Amino acid sequence: MRFIVRRLAFYLLAFWVSITLNFLLPRFMPGDPVTRMFAQAANKMQPHQIEQLRQLFGLDERPIWQQYLSYVHNIFTGQMGVSISRFPTPVAEVIGSQIGWTLLLGGTALVIAVVIGNLLGILAAWRRGGVLDSVFPPILVFVGSFPYFWLAMAALYLFGVVLGWFPIRHAFDAGMTPELSWTFIASIATHLFLPALTIVLVSIGGWMLGMRNTMIATTAEDYILMAEAKGLTNNRIMFRYAARNAMLPSVTAFGMSFGFIVGGALLTEVVFAYPGVGYQLLAAVQGLDYPLMQGIFLTITAAVLVANFLVDIVYVRLDPRVRVS
Amino acid sequence: MPHSIRKGRSALALAALLTGAVLLTGCTAGGTAVDTSGDQLLTIPREDMGTFSRNFNPFTPNAAPMTQQAIYESMLVYNPADGGTTPWLATEWAASDDGLELTFTMRDGVSWSDGEPMVAGDVAYTFELQKELLGGFDYLDSVEADSDQSVRFILNRPYSPALYEIGQQIIVPQHIWEEIDDPAKDTNGTPVGTGPYTEVTSFQSQSFDLGKNPNYWQPEKQKIAGIRMLAFAGNDGANLAAVNGEVDWAYQFMPDIEKSFVAKDPEHRQFWFPSTGSMINWQLNTTKAPFDDVNVRKALSMAVDREQVTDIAMNGYTSPADCTGLSGAYTTWVDADIAASCDWTNHDVDAANALFDSAGYPLGADGVRTLPDGSPFTLDISVGSASSDWLSAATIIAQNLAEVGITAKVDSPDWPTVSASYEDGSFDTGIVWSNNAPTPYQFFRGVMSSDTVKPVGEKTFENYHRFASPEADALLATFAASSDPAAQTEAVNGLQAQFDADAPVIPLFAGPEWGMFTDTRFTGWPTESDPYATLSTKSPTTVLVLTSLEPVTK
Repeated sequence: MRFIVRRLAFYLLAFWVSITLNFLLPRFMPGDPVTRMFAQAANKMQPHQIEQLRQLFGLDERPIWQQYLSYVHNIFTGQMGVSISRFPTPVAEVIGSQIGWTLLLGGTALVIAVVIGNLLGILAAWRRGGVLDSVFPPILVFVGSFPYFWLAMAALYLFGVVLGWFPIRHAFDAGMTPELSWTFIASIATHLFLPALTIVLVSIGGWMLGMRNTMIATTAEDYILMAEAKGLTNNRIMFRYAARNAMLPSVTAFGMSFGFIVGGALLTEVVFAYPGVGYQLLAAVQGLDYPLMQGIFLTITAAVLVANFLVDIVYVRLDPRVRVS
Repeated sequence: MPHSIRKGRSALALAALLTGAVLLTGCTAGGTAVDTSGDQLLTIPREDMGTFSRNFNPFTPNAAPMTQQAIYESMLVYNPADGGTTPWLATEWAASDDGLELTFTMRDGVSWSDGEPMVAGDVAYTFELQKELLGGFDYLDSVEADSDQSVRFILNRPYSPALYEIGQQIIVPQHIWEEIDDPAKDTNGTPVGTGPYTEVTSFQSQSFDLGKNPNYWQPEKQKIAGIRMLAFAGNDGANLAAVNGEVDWAYQFMPDIEKSFVAKDPEHRQFWFPSTGSMINWQLNTTKAPFDDVNVRKALSMAVDREQVTDIAMNGYTSPADCTGLSGAYTTWVDADIAASCDWTNHDVDAANALFDSAGYPLGADGVRTLPDGSPFTLDISVGSASSDWLSAATIIAQNLAEVGITAKVDSPDWPTVSASYEDGSFDTGIVWSNNAPTPYQFFRGVMSSDTVKPVGEKTFENYHRFASPEADALLATFAASSDPAAQTEAVNGLQAQFDADAPVIPLFAGPEWGMFTDTRFTGWPTESDPYATLSTKSPTTVLVLTSLEPVTK
């Protein structure tokens, strides 16, 4: 229990540091949202519109410490304000309408990569020098070291454009209305396939190698020898004795990755025109949309911290040593 | 781990290059059957919105696409491609002799999409709301609806460009907007307008459909069933859709369009890039020596090979500027005599060298040109790193300048940093857009009027190069005070002569207005031979296209 309380205090401190950075960093960037909009629109906006937009947005001109106080207040009361790049849509609505797709894409890809990657790692380490161990790691590392967008473009071109097996854009067919029907779910699944596949391809190698390496170290332990001497079945030793102990670093990495999912997958969204938070974040940063940036960063921060906290709790369950220390 | 998926903009730029390659290597045109039932939706990509928000508030800058084009309409439509003006919600207009009153006669029988009649009171209300929410129109004293058909604008000073600014303001219904508590923050999810396609029949985050306005005032022109917008996070996805033949009309930059788009189906596909965008200038900060010397500006201009700039940096999509400074949007205003006598906008290295020498910037024995105080002549060209086309224009200029012994350094941080240096006047030189409005008044005002000059250190959003000409001020005042076409033409001729004499900026090329289409599903597009509008999907002229297209039926 004391462990959990201590961790909780640490997370609160980390949360305060990160929300303060969220507040300060964007304000160190040159310009303000309106001049950014003007520079981006280049010749499409007239100079007199700058004053008009300032008036419309009602930009906060108070001293920075006052802005900070109301920022902190707003965070704890859950008011994230109105987005500037999406004016006048509230930040909560901008994020809320995208986060589902981001979680679907990132979550699916992560779970598939973690499950398959770890299984491959376990099997490869168990039959060290076997076919699985000598063929898969080099191939997966090779694929994983491709620049992501190159892989995504190639997949889009080959399977979407040339072969026409998968749709080349969006989360579902234009003109469809979200509903609980097989046709709609099928549309979502076919649209999800390529984006998720490419993310799995570039990330699976890391999971497999990580698992394989810790697993190899674990199989050298005396208790494995002991288990074999007791005559336990191979599968039981592999999963219940070796893999369970080797899994700990993977659990930590899974927690971290899960937290980062909410930041969106920018390049996937761009290449496959998939909806999500990533492009929104890019647009917010480029347009100095403080409220939206803060909203997204806050979501990421909270998700990372919550995911880590959960991992910590799971650790207590998985690893008795943590409880003792 | 998914971290590798976020690598930011350099990776994005590379991705863009690769897409270009994919487009070029030739995707096969989409094999799907072409819908020619007559009910097909006009499909248009939007390349700068990864997702749509259901916001049809026309007063906000990022309203959903087509808000200002298909849902709301203005009193008149000005077409920069042919210089013509089409009466729209108003049938005619007249200015009083003293230029202080402008009266518009509203069209009879126009109603809002909810069936209520549109009246002059809506116009007066719109301007009241516009001024309350956004300000602007500071030359307007009041707007009076004299009857349901007639609305009078009372100006506090004669200002002839007001006609287009007022005429192109979109009009909103008073009976709807006066009920809204906070019009600035209302997302207006179910809009009521006078436009041809006002009904939101479906709205998803990456596509939405607009259907026919049941009460449109020219029902015979609503030949297409509706509009479908698709969201894309960048040009690449939108270009892929265009190349695949999945969209009918697109308005974004595409590299090597002849090969990657037209060649896939030359019978049906066309592009047309009229140079009606704003004039792109090389601006020299005239508060700094030696750029305050007109001979230096002209000599630098002669050193620039504009053909090379437009061919290489702009893909040949536009043509070099001349010494009138006027873009293709103002062809009717160009003074042919001045245009024929241009010298300082032609590439002529010998003349540039001679002018530098005679102006006191001699070429040293080491091939380096020096300033009068003996230090080497060097300059910086600042361009935003995101504008790859302007960046390569700057690089070409830098190479050109090496031929006359000047070292130019291309400086390319991101746009906000660059424009901050423009705004406070700390920059050396830069490649900058200019004002673009129906008449050349705003352009000349932005490059050489003393009204727009702010001292260095104080922020400005036009006339970054801080050049003022009293002669130009007088001519601009004459133009603004007169609504007589002959007097206006004379003033603009004078302004061109002044521009030619002073070279306040170095004009490079007019920005092209992108636009491409395929006529397999719809016909009746504007083209170079029938320029009834541009191919822009974001301009006031868009409504002219929407009311001219016809579906292909078989």
